[in-house]
Amino acid sequence: MDGTTEVQTKRLCRVSADVTAMNGAGIMLMSGDTPQGSLCTTDDVSAFIEESQFALGEGPCVDAYRLDRAVLEPDLANPSTLRWLAFSSPVVAAGVRAIFGFPLHMGEVRLGALNLYCTEPGSLTDEQYEDALAMADIITRAVLVLQSNAPAGQLAAELASGADFEYVVHQAAGMVSAQLNVSVAQALIRLRGYAFGNDCPLRSVARDVVDRHLRFDHGSGESDPTP
Amino acid sequence: MVVREAALVRTFVELTDTLVDRFDVVELLTLLTDRCIDVLDVEAAGLMLATDRGELRVVASSSDAMRLLELFELQAEEGPCMDCYRTGNPIERPRLSLTDSRWPRFEPRALAAGFHAVHALPMRLRGQTIGALNLFRASEGALAEDDIVLGQAFADVATIGILQYRAASEAQAVNDQLNNALNSRVVIEQAKGMVAERSGVDMEQSFHRLRSYARGHNLRLVDVARSIIEGTLPAASLEPKPPVRAT
Repeated sequence: MDGTTEVQTKRLCRVSADVTAMNGAGIMLMSGDTPQGSLCTTDDVSAFIEESQFALGEGPCVDAYRLDRAVLEPDLANPSTLRWLAFSSPVVAAGVRAIFGFPLHMGEVRLGALNLYCTEPGSLTDEQYEDALAMADIITRAVLVLQSNAPAGQLAAELASGADFEYVVHQAAGMVSAQLNVSVAQALIRLRGYAFGNDCPLRSVARDVVDRHLRFDHGSGESDPTP
Repeated sequence: MVVREAALVRTFVELTDTLVDRFDVVELLTLLTDRCIDVLDVEAAGLMLATDRGELRVVASSSDAMRLLELFELQAEEGPCMDCYRTGNPIERPRLSLTDSRWPRFEPRALAAGFHAVHALPMRLRGQTIGALNLFRASEGALAEDDIVLGQAFADVATIGILQYRAASEAQAVNDQLNNALNSRVVIEQAKGMVAERSGVDMEQSFHRLRSYARGHNLRLVDVARSIIEGTLPAASLEPKPPVRAT
């Protein structure tokens, strides 16, 4: 046993990967049209998948949420549809071959998406597909139950533990916004652009800004192509 | 193992279907006990739920023998389900005995009914135990670790189903609340960054300034944070004021 009999997102995440015979799973929460971060991940690879989707704003979870249907990519290295131009190659390099996103929804309520990945290419069988839908449904209910007793304006403690909502990125956006006198939304775009242009993770760029090793205003080391 | 995987998966799908369509607690829990027999290495399963007043009731049993035994457990006020519900912890007794009984009235009954080992798993969320799942074996010996994990996962699904049913109509409100919580936190983190940059303080000091300003002006933290990032409240307004000198 994993030490607790409490209902927990971590176990649902693990069970999702197990019943569908996948290598790993992750649960992403979305708000508006934006990834908010991951509720839990089973392993480093699924953590990397969620982090990449958060940083790049694209990937199977983002699509599954926006389209409100399952998004299936049986071979990310040789995809039949070319999509996720920024997301695909680093994720393939991390060892992922097949990747799937299932929306977490119930009626009109849409929460995010369940991500499943496999290190071997291959489509889901009908059974695996059904099981993934079932798990997505269970997770949706679990999130709603867990959040239902949380104090107003706060995330339930059970959801917060084990989650990664990339707070450092938002702190950095606030700092860059002050450095450039632009809105935080624009500052976030600059951060993403810098991370993409320099081929480094958004999170480490943000960490450098917060630690005051990187500034975005004049005289900084930022290579900014805009005139 | 393949057969077992398939059965396991079918259980999750069935449980979910029960949750989706006309929801019926008894139907859900009866299905759960039936599937425990199929998937786990046990001969009987039963489930008890607590009433509002904390009294256990037998809700589902995989057989009549099991049902009678569970009813006896409630009458005698002792047994694995009772202990599990009271403590909120899993109960395991791999060897029932007539001479060295943990439950002197329950154990002879269980042995007479042909059961030699018992497990009980809590149905538990947020410190609240709403019931327990009883698993009985015809032979001596503890359940394998895998079976216990699976049994607990089944109990979790049922717990979620029951509690979610109780809160179903609130789903949209809960989702709004969830979004609100997520967005509030983002705005607060952004404001922390902005104050840290403008006032040259670290994130922790920045957070303290936001919070003291909110408290001092009787405002919500998130509203102060929003005013900061929208530029309607200058970061300098948050700087601690020098103590007022008495004249």
